[in-house]
Amino acid sequence: MLSTDDRVFAEMFFRDAGHGYDEFGFHPKTARRGIKALAPLYNSYFRVKSHDADRIPKEGPAVLAANHAGMIPVDAIMLSLDVFANTTPARWPRASMDHFVPLMPFVGTFFSRCGAVAGSRGNFGRLLDAGELVTAFPEGVPGIQKPIWKRYQLQQWRVGHCELAIRHSAPVVPVGIIGSEEQWPQVGRIDSIKLLGAPYLPIPITPFPLPVRIHIYYGEPIPLHEDYAPEQSDDPAVLAAAAARVKDAVQALIAKGLEEREGLFR
Amino acid sequence: MTMVLLTGVTTPLGTALAKALVDDPEIQQVVGVGIEPEPPTELESNAFVYECWDLSKERNIRRMLFGSCRERGVTHVVHSAFHRSPRARGGRIHRLNVESTRNLLRFCERHPTIRRFVFRSDVEVYRHDHLHPTLLREDQPLELSTAAKQRVRDRIEADLTICTHMGMSSLSICVLRLAEVFAPESGSQLHDWLLSRIAIRPLGYNPMVNLLSIDDAVAALIAGVKGEAQGVFNIPGYDSLPLKRLAELAGVRPVALPGPMLSPLYRWRERVRRTEFTYEMNDGRFHTSDLLDGTRAMKELGYEPQHGINFSAVKQQRRLTAFRRL
Repeated sequence: MLSTDDRVFAEMFFRDAGHGYDEFGFHPKTARRGIKALAPLYNSYFRVKSHDADRIPKEGPAVLAANHAGMIPVDAIMLSLDVFANTTPARWPRASMDHFVPLMPFVGTFFSRCGAVAGSRGNFGRLLDAGELVTAFPEGVPGIQKPIWKRYQLQQWRVGHCELAIRHSAPVVPVGIIGSEEQWPQVGRIDSIKLLGAPYLPIPITPFPLPVRIHIYYGEPIPLHEDYAPEQSDDPAVLAAAAARVKDAVQALIAKGLEEREGLFR
Repeated sequence: MTMVLLTGVTTPLGTALAKALVDDPEIQQVVGVGIEPEPPTELESNAFVYECWDLSKERNIRRMLFGSCRERGVTHVVHSAFHRSPRARGGRIHRLNVESTRNLLRFCERHPTIRRFVFRSDVEVYRHDHLHPTLLREDQPLELSTAAKQRVRDRIEADLTICTHMGMSSLSICVLRLAEVFAPESGSQLHDWLLSRIAIRPLGYNPMVNLLSIDDAVAALIAGVKGEAQGVFNIPGYDSLPLKRLAELAGVRPVALPGPMLSPLYRWRERVRRTEFTYEMNDGRFHTSDLLDGTRAMKELGYEPQHGINFSAVKQQRRLTAFRRL
């Protein structure tokens, strides 16, 4: 269960840049309101169940790499809430936003206040150097574009998260999210309509997300930084091998999760 | 023995820097240069000499450097003279902003006593782009679009002119790209934005901005003078906050309107009220957060921002401006 006790928020790691915001615009008070507002979704609607959450590093930098799907980033939100609920003192992972998100009015600002950052190497490097936990969805936009019949089939797996993990000496924690790929199925998309900077207009089957139960599986942290030297982070072969390792780990967690799942809503 | 030549001494930053240099026991003498006939009244000291020169003329620079500066044995030059109005344009402005920089550097390289050249550049040289990291490093793309105002283009040209000499010059060269110095009469667009009772910003956007106080700007320039490090350094300020919060702290009512309305509104306001705030120059940063990454300056120059902005001073300045308009 996600606790919204004020003491949990008080212990949360935060680097104040002077006015109650960090340099990326993260505002814990807004995040707290957001967490409180979303707690019913986590606890009651999606009934998120966490598996092996003790594998999330208690401190220091780490990259959470997960599968990605859905019209709106429900998986990213539930993953952040799950990490927050299962770490003591609470850790609030910094999610990556695709480049078009910060340009969306209201949405970009709200996500920034809740700790999300535009997904560039510079931003993530800075966060990892500061010892933060960051989430990455290496499938990117092709992940959220997936139609329902391609659910849990990992799309092209980008290598940026491995590059950052090696360069900034952070382990990668593979994460398999089960349920998110069915929560708001799409039947198609209109590429010519780019509303508010979004890359396309999705056509969903249902008018709102389905109350599918979400299971989040955490894998053993992969210490890429112990296997490779920071200067190897520029080597395409090293990055491809490292990314394949993370992808395989995520795929294994997905397979395990699908096997253990008793039903879409259970 | 350090003797400093400081251009742009009659600006608020120039005056504050001159005062700090004069008070520094390691600095023997400060030669302040301005175009005004009289020096700022607060700079009365035996260690300070004021000289009036129009730097847009090449011969003046030559006479200054190889005349009085050679006699005094000037060792360091801090070049911060720059036209600050975004409305200013034309050949004369370009000569002051760019040609003076080029000539100053050229003559300094031939000078027998000058060893170090510190150039005050500005955050305005960077391009605002949501594809870049929020924290801008020194190698971020520059604002080279044809739509850029002359003030921005001139700053970039002057900055790049200095950069082309790095590593090939007899001088030790240091370029400091300062975050926006938030003070009156300093060319601060955000300060001018807050001189009205209502500050209009784009609806749905509230990006982070970083502001530099005069005290921190002075500390950075002194670190540049005293340091040995060469290269380009970003100088961030102490205050990083959202645009809306900035307006609130300055006692201004922030009003959000749809983005497309802002440009004509501010253009009208600029014409009618003769304000210095130009929306075209700020459109990018009113939508995306761009802050300076000061890691390099901290490592190489030992600079770290420590002084916050006194936002209540903006309220007094606003009253003063309103009174002047009356």
